[in-house]
Amino acid sequence: MSVTSATGTMRIVRPRRVVRRDEAKWTWLLIGVVAAILLVWEAAVSWLHLVPEAFLPPPTAVAASFAQLMVDPAFWQAFAYSLTNVVIGLVLAIVVGVVVGLAVGWSAALRFTVAPFLWLLYSTPKVALAPLFILALGLGSASKIALVFLLAVFPIILNTMEGAVTVGGSLVNAGRVYGVNGLALGWKVIFPATLPYSLSGIQRGAALAFTGEVLGEFLGGTGGLGHMLEFAAYQFEMAEAIALVIVMVIIANLTLLLISTLRRRLAPWYDDRKIAGAS
Amino acid sequence: MSAFLASGPNLGRGGGVAAWLAGLSPAGKAGVLAAEVVVMLLVWQVVVGVLGWINPVFLPPPTAIWQGFVQLVASGVLWPNLLISLQAWLIGFVIAAVIAIPLGLLMGTSLPVDRVVGPIAWTIYATPSIAYQPLAKAWFGFGIGPVVFLVAISALFPILLNVAAGMRTTNASIIRAGRVYGATRMQLYRSVYLPSTVPFLFAGLRQAVVLATIGMVVAELSGSAIGMGALIIKSVNTYQTGQAYAAIAIVMLWSVGMAQLVTLVERWVAPWTRKGRR
Repeated sequence: MSVTSATGTMRIVRPRRVVRRDEAKWTWLLIGVVAAILLVWEAAVSWLHLVPEAFLPPPTAVAASFAQLMVDPAFWQAFAYSLTNVVIGLVLAIVVGVVVGLAVGWSAALRFTVAPFLWLLYSTPKVALAPLFILALGLGSASKIALVFLLAVFPIILNTMEGAVTVGGSLVNAGRVYGVNGLALGWKVIFPATLPYSLSGIQRGAALAFTGEVLGEFLGGTGGLGHMLEFAAYQFEMAEAIALVIVMVIIANLTLLLISTLRRRLAPWYDDRKIAGAS
Repeated sequence: MSAFLASGPNLGRGGGVAAWLAGLSPAGKAGVLAAEVVVMLLVWQVVVGVLGWINPVFLPPPTAIWQGFVQLVASGVLWPNLLISLQAWLIGFVIAAVIAIPLGLLMGTSLPVDRVVGPIAWTIYATPSIAYQPLAKAWFGFGIGPVVFLVAISALFPILLNVAAGMRTTNASIIRAGRVYGATRMQLYRSVYLPSTVPFLFAGLRQAVVLATIGMVVAELSGSAIGMGALIIKSVNTYQTGQAYAAIAIVMLWSVGMAQLVTLVERWVAPWTRKGRR
């Protein structure tokens, strides 16, 4: 949808999202189903005693644990520790991933020589390297940050590369006609055109970064949410463990939401389905 | 996968290495790549093994990894661990596929199911499956159970969501054409919806292979006494990193091999898809 603004130039206005009545109906249905599941869970555990409470605590107990965690300074300390590591590792991965991805996507020679190895490394289950990282870098934050970086960087590199490869030739030629060359061409044409791809790589990278951090905490060290969760499950404090899993679900989904919002703001012209489709 | 062979943006005026590479025959390209692999391995061997710039405990040279592999085979620890891992992987993957494919088809068919299962599935899928690992360990004990659970939960959602997306994005004009020619509901499913969902199914399976392997390794690394992950941990803890890398290489081969297998099956079952045609 485009409108003419006061200055006479065409401005793109995104159509406002229309919430139709039948869409609201589905939301209510979803809420109803979730509520029904929770009710059945509660009934099965605390009223009918079909499942021992120590094994699967009822939702009310999980909610109580969750509330307790929210006011527990130890939880927030662990939260800050984990998040700091993830953010440092992820930012490093984004910088390196986008630069390497653009360079490899840009140059045909690099693409031919380096890309096969990048694909190979990308499809390697690199989580298996976690014990080696702990051996090399110790139990502190360094090993976790390195693991986060290693796991997050490859999806970012490969998506950026794929984006750079698919930049339309006519875009590049148009840029050339207007006298944009060299690095400026990269910055003004290729980088923005690649951005949605990079962001979808970052989205995957963020999920893997999270995996790296939690795995690092499982395997060694005494800080962070992963360690807290492992410890709670080890002590068979199932209510606390489930509450911590819910915290992680919330973090992961908020991160995803943040990145897809960024993508919609930074690259509103881009159709999500083109990336997410069957490939 | 073929991005590195694609033509790409027309950036340079050609010439130099790029033009030379572009002009090569497929066999020539394969030759260049093979030469590159050999050079990489040689450099690795020289840097670590001869010059010793990197501590070989952390990154053993290729020969040490090969020795590690030979040791693993000779001492007989490889096969039992490998078999346990593959068993857990396969059981988990089959469970995931058996649940995900019918449920995905149902999601694609019925709007209420889609609107209820969809958001829940996306929420769980967005969370790395490692978060569920301690629960699985507490519920299923220390044996193969938590590994199967983690493989299944890692593989389930990519298959489910891809199948549902495939059903939803079936080309409306083909459906209308089918209706015009008087296709019944079943005929529509059989010859319109399913064929257009198949590429999505295989894309989901390929994603699932990668995620299932990650799930398997994660579950075995933290709290399993047998399996490839446990083998890796044991080798690292005894500083036999050559063996650890050999085990990692085997897991990697399994992951890549299964993904290739999915593509082969796709080519055989559904030759009309993009991957199948190639």
